[in-house]
Amino acid sequence: MPEVILNNITKKWGDFVAVKNLSMTIDDGAFITLLGPSGCGKTTTLRMIAGLETPSSGEIIINGIIVFSEKKGINVSAVKRDVGFIFQNYALWPHMTVYQNIAFGLETQKWEKEAIKERVDEMLALMKIEEFVDRYPSELSGGQQQRVAIARTLAPKPKVLFMDEPLSNLDAKLRGEMRTELKRLHVDTGSTFVYVTHDQLEAMTLSTKICLMNEGVVQQYDPPLKVYEQPANVFVADFVGNPAMNILSGKAIKTGKAKAEIALLNHKFEFKGVKDFELPSSDIFVGIRPEFLPVTEQGQISGTVYSALPAGMETTVKIKIADKILSSVMFGSVDYAIDSKINFDIYGNKILVFNSENGKNISLGSLRCIK
Amino acid sequence: MKREITITKRQRLINDVRTWFSKPVNLITVFFFIILFVLIAYPLYAVLSSSVTMGQKDSMMYNSLFKQQLKKGDFSWNNFSMLLSGKYTTDYSRALFWKPLFNSIMMSAYASIISIIVGGVIAFLITRTDVRFKKFISSVFIFPYLMPSWTLALVWKNVFINSSVGNGITGWFEAVTGICVPQWFVYGMFPCAIILGIHYAPFAYILVGGVLRNMEANLEEAATILKADRLRIIRKITLPIVLPSMISTLLLVFSSSMASFSTPNFIGSPGNFFVLSTMLKSLYQSNYSGQAYVMTLVLLLFGIGFLVLNHFVVGKRKSFTTVTGKSGQVSYIRLGKLNTLISVILIILLFFFAVFPLISFAVESLCLIQGDYSRLTLRYWLSGEDIQDLSRNVGKGLLRNSRVWGALWGSLKLSIIVALIVGTCGFLIGYGVARKRGSKLADAVSYLAFFPYLIPTMAFGAIWLSVASKLPFLRGTFILLVLVASIKYLPFASRSGTSAMMQLSGEIEESALIVGAPWFVRMTKILFPIQKSSFISGYLLPFVSCMRELTLFVLLADKDSVITMLLSYYDDADISQMSNGVNLLIIIVVLTINLIVNKLTGASIDKGIGGN
Repeated sequence: MPEVILNNITKKWGDFVAVKNLSMTIDDGAFITLLGPSGCGKTTTLRMIAGLETPSSGEIIINGIIVFSEKKGINVSAVKRDVGFIFQNYALWPHMTVYQNIAFGLETQKWEKEAIKERVDEMLALMKIEEFVDRYPSELSGGQQQRVAIARTLAPKPKVLFMDEPLSNLDAKLRGEMRTELKRLHVDTGSTFVYVTHDQLEAMTLSTKICLMNEGVVQQYDPPLKVYEQPANVFVADFVGNPAMNILSGKAIKTGKAKAEIALLNHKFEFKGVKDFELPSSDIFVGIRPEFLPVTEQGQISGTVYSALPAGMETTVKIKIADKILSSVMFGSVDYAIDSKINFDIYGNKILVFNSENGKNISLGSLRCIK
Repeated sequence: MKREITITKRQRLINDVRTWFSKPVNLITVFFFIILFVLIAYPLYAVLSSSVTMGQKDSMMYNSLFKQQLKKGDFSWNNFSMLLSGKYTTDYSRALFWKPLFNSIMMSAYASIISIIVGGVIAFLITRTDVRFKKFISSVFIFPYLMPSWTLALVWKNVFINSSVGNGITGWFEAVTGICVPQWFVYGMFPCAIILGIHYAPFAYILVGGVLRNMEANLEEAATILKADRLRIIRKITLPIVLPSMISTLLLVFSSSMASFSTPNFIGSPGNFFVLSTMLKSLYQSNYSGQAYVMTLVLLLFGIGFLVLNHFVVGKRKSFTTVTGKSGQVSYIRLGKLNTLISVILIILLFFFAVFPLISFAVESLCLIQGDYSRLTLRYWLSGEDIQDLSRNVGKGLLRNSRVWGALWGSLKLSIIVALIVGTCGFLIGYGVARKRGSKLADAVSYLAFFPYLIPTMAFGAIWLSVASKLPFLRGTFILLVLVASIKYLPFASRSGTSAMMQLSGEIEESALIVGAPWFVRMTKILFPIQKSSFISGYLLPFVSCMRELTLFVLLADKDSVITMLLSYYDDADISQMSNGVNLLIIIVVLTINLIVNKLTGASIDKGIGGN
């Protein structure tokens, strides 16, 4: 069964290292997201697995077959890797109709005429684009082109399907719809999906595992909720979640097994880790998700309202305290007057402590204000 | 399970090389790099070495002039110092080099300004105003470029020559108006600049018009929204965007004019107006080939200088011409009352430069006696018997003359083969350069492919003659003509191929690659069809150029082997009915084939030159 294994993949262009020592295993039937800011090497990684780019070193194994190995001198061309690829700009062939676009891959694989017709019809029905069969790409809207691109890619039944930011050219509503469709498609086809995006919400909602990259290096490779709750470092913590996690610098003293006292925003807090940890120095970063920063009248910490953004279902409040701006999210729609005084707490059991020097996660735990 | 395999450095290198070459694009780029490098470097070496190596005659001349003891094959700077620094006398170098150089530069400067003004204005009128007869104007305006370059020069001469100039033949203008225009109007800088300017104006029209047409309407609309008036938009938005391509046109026309031979030969030399290219030929013919090669090098340096300048000007700013295909309909400037006037003026000008030459050739070919327009006959076209003209045997009428048919067939065969080679190479080079864009190799290949453009056609022929003398198996063969013409016409084909490929994103090919389409299928089923018209133009342009080429073949081909050589023979022999008839024949063949290809595929010359 198709399982994709990358061993120590590195890609260099001259002195520029696009991807550095990347190793990961993509399980059969997984929906993997390569997530990261632009220029982090995620598209390059995807293109290397697909065979569109040649790695500088390392090894790639698809379905038990080595398709690339720098040491053994193996480089199976993309033509023979049996993969599908959906491009960001769809890359539909402008001189072919929808039917011809979808049928092309089947024709190159020398399918019978009947079988081609059957398969194309099947794909048209699956993507609900039957009525456009004789149109040219330029006569379709963005969403329709997207569907044709997916149909074209799925038609030859690739074992692995790669998608490079396929939804980024669509409007917000359509993007939402296509997300739903993609998740269904993943289950319906049972194929392995590898998906590139810079949209953390897309990664969170779609994938079975997220591979978060920055500057060519994998930061974390875990299921979405684990990435959200236990980010490996400050970068991951900051990148995933909207609004972003509040990251504050503080001072910590170890007070017992899995316990510490943290000085933060002129208050003292008690931190209880889920397991014992070590503090390499007293300077630390504390990561607090906006949902663990409840605004209440009895709150022990006070600041001023910098901005309030009610969105109907929830409200984001930006709170100014000293020279910091913190985010708090609450359920329901509440409007706060800008510059008014506001009290809040820091409370919860999914608070993170990071090493202030290398940004690494020290411990997950709960925080309680004691003074 | 992990297994360490130790590999040697050598093994790794072999692996890397094999991986790299397994991609067709790398193979193609390297292939063309090597081929082009050899085909360009070797002739250059040949010229360079010929310019500093003394021939038998050279050494004898210098030995007597400068009291030297040179032998054949010796190294010497004599050719340079005599021609450039006046080692012999300053008069010699002034008359043979500096004055022609100055003439070349001035003539080219005027020609490029004329062409950019004429071509630019017409491009603007066609793309931005509601001038009438657009379709007619834009298709007929290409004619001067399709015709052999000497055509307009001959017409100019036919029209303006008069009893006070030269050997006193009465031209059309004098016959109609009775006015004798002065000599400078008939021969010299003035007519040369005008004729070259008109000849290259379509080129400017196509380049500038292409940019104007592809410019996003939004750019101008955005200015309209900001309440800028039309004039201000033209000045502040349109002109700056078109500027790089205008400067580029200016430079290309300038260097083409520097290299042009036939126009200054026909209407310059008779008025003692010499430029570098005409001087080059006369030096070559009077066996001062060493000095001719020095001149070749000078022309070459100018050419390279212009390429560098052009690269500098166009380089990064090329990205101005974004082709997104979203460009909407631009609102045309209303010419109002002036519309009819401007349209009529344009039509008259076009008539004179594009249609009149054809009539003139037809009439000349029908004259029973040269210069006597009262008695016309089809004899020179249809006669099945040998024609006796002024007691010379002219041969059978054009259409029944085996020499004419043989030469025409020779030209067609040559042009078709050359077009196939050049068009295909242009497509492949475009593919390689576009896919490997930004890499040094791609830059090198695109420069090399453009390089032949810089070599003046006259010099190009001479260079290859010297190559053929070193490689005797090539001398006088059809293969030599194919080779020379293919290299000479590669620049435009590779340019149009590259620009067409640049417009296709890599993903278009990759998405076919991913579904398992092998390289050949990707080329023939995906890439070629999408930009079909541009690529076919890449075949059409070399065909047309080759059909009407004379200068290139003058030193290399036999007079019966290609049709232009036969034309030149009839012209030299002063059999004007035959030469005009053959001229008309060439133009008709070229226009017909252009029209057929255009109708069948939508491709046209203007697309090949760079417009869209």
